Amino acid sequence: MRPVVVSGVGMIPFERRDEDRLVDMLAMAGLRAMDDAGLGDHPIDAVYVGNMASGLFNHQVSVASALVDRLNLLPAAADRVENGPASGGSAIKNGFLAVASGFCDVVLVVGGEKMREVIGPRATDIVASMTHPQAEYIYGVTLPAMAGMFARLYMEKYGITRKHLALVSIKNQENGILNPYAHIQMKITMEGILTHPQAHINNPVVADPLHLYDCCPVSDGAAAVLLTSLEIAEVLKKPIVQIAGVGQATDTHTLQERADPTDLKAVTQASKKAFSMADLKPEDIDVAELHDAFTILEIAESEQAGFFPKGEGAKAVESGATRIGGELPINPSGGLKARGHPVGATGVAQVVELVWQLRGEAGERQVKDAANGFSLNFGGFGNNVLAFVLRRES
Amino acid sequence: MKTITAYKCKQCEHVMYPKHLRCLRCRGREFEEIVPTKGGKLLTYTVVNELPWGIDERGRVLGIVEFDNGIRAMGLINADEIRVGMKLMAGWEPVRVIGGEKTYGLSFKPK
Repeated sequence: MRPVVVSGVGMIPFERRDEDRLVDMLAMAGLRAMDDAGLGDHPIDAVYVGNMASGLFNHQVSVASALVDRLNLLPAAADRVENGPASGGSAIKNGFLAVASGFCDVVLVVGGEKMREVIGPRATDIVASMTHPQAEYIYGVTLPAMAGMFARLYMEKYGITRKHLALVSIKNQENGILNPYAHIQMKITMEGILTHPQAHINNPVVADPLHLYDCCPVSDGAAAVLLTSLEIAEVLKKPIVQIAGVGQATDTHTLQERADPTDLKAVTQASKKAFSMADLKPEDIDVAELHDAFTILEIAESEQAGFFPKGEGAKAVESGATRIGGELPINPSGGLKARGHPVGATGVAQVVELVWQLRGEAGERQVKDAANGFSLNFGGFGNNVLAFVLRRES
Repeated sequence: MKTITAYKCKQCEHVMYPKHLRCLRCRGREFEEIVPTKGGKLLTYTVVNELPWGIDERGRVLGIVEFDNGIRAMGLINADEIRVGMKLMAGWEPVRVIGGEKTYGLSFKPK
C-alpha cells in the first residue's frame, strides 16, 4: 500500500442548522477541505459520503450523487457509506483504501448528518433503529438506555462514580468553549450538575445511571477531509499528515450476547490493528479523539484502546491526565459531548481535529508539539468500531 | 405462555438469542429451538426517561435477564424495587405499538 496524506480538512460549526439542507452542509464542508488543501481545479477521482440516515431524517437518499452535482465534481465516482454512528469513520476508511491501492489519487470524504429536521423523540427512534429489531428495538430501547445498562455494570465492576462521569463532561465542555466549531459552548461545574441538592433540575436522569450531561447533544453538522497520494500532497505544500494506521472490528449486535458485556472487544481489536499498521504504541500518541457519545464511553474506550489499564481510565480523568496540557489530552475538540454528534459527521470531524492538532493549527486548544494522533469512532453500541492513527511527517 | 425462541447449537451446545445462521462459538449451522425457563436473574437494567417516539411514558425500566437455562434476553422490568442479581419471573405482554399494531415481548416481575 502507498502512503495516504490528509491534504485538506474542513468543517462547518456543529449546531442546530435550520437554514441549511443536508447537501448544502456537505457541500460547505467539502469545499472548505478542498480550499484548505489549495486543490484549485485539480480533479477529484472519488467522493465518499459518511451518512447514517438521510432517508429517515431528511427524506433524501443518494446524497453522494447530489453532492458531486452541487460542487460540480462531475464525473467523480460517488458513494454514500452507511455504518451507523461510525459512518464517518467507514467513509474515511473507504477513501483511504482507494488512495492506498492506487485506484485513486485524490478523494474527498465528507461526513454529515442533519438530525434536527425531526423532533427529539423521532430522532431518538431513528437512532434506536440500529438496535436488534426483535430482541431490542421493540422494548423501546434507546442508545442512552444501552449506555445506561453498560454504565451500571462498568461502574460497579471498576468502582466508577457519577463524579468520574461528571469530570469527563466538565473537561469536554471546557474544551468545547475553545472550539468555535463546537455545538455546546457552556462551562459547567461539579456543583451545578452533581453536588448541589438541586443539581438534578439542571441534570435530570435520561437513562439511569446516565444523566443529561452524560449524553452528547443532537446536532446538525458536516466535516470533510481531502485524501491524496504523497506525490500530490507534496505539490499542495500543506504539512504532511499521514493516515498511518486504520483498524476496524465488529462485535455481536446485542449487548447481551457478549460473554462480558463490559468488555468492548471491538474497540481493543480495532485499536490494535491501527497501532500495528502504524508501527506505533498507545504511549506514542500525543492527542486522542474518542467517541464520548456518553461520558462512560470515554473512560471505557481510553482503557480498551490501550492508553490506560482496565479500571484506570477514571483515575486518569481525576488526575487531569486527559486534559489539554495533561499526559494524554483526550477530546481537546470537546468530543461528542461538546462538539456535538451529527452521527455521520463524527468520524470525519475527529480526524479533522487531529489534523489541526498535528499541524499546530488548533488555536487555544492546541496540544503542544503533537506529532501522533489517534481517533476512535464507535458504531452501534460497540458492534462496529474504527480506529485511526495519524502521524505528522517531520 | 408465549415467549421467545432461542437456539442451541447442535454441535457445541452454545445458547443463542437472537437467531444467527452460524453459531457464535463454533460456526455450526444446525440448532435446536429452545424456550427460556420461567425464571432468571437480572444482569443489568436502566430506568429510561427519554423514550422514543410512540412510547408515551417516562421511567420505563429495561433490563437484561439471564434465564436459568442460560438464555439472555432484554425485556421490561415491572418491579417496585430493583437490584442487579434479583430473581425474576418472565411474562409476555404488549411492549410497543408499531405501525398501529401491538407488538408483544418479554416482561419480568419479581419471583
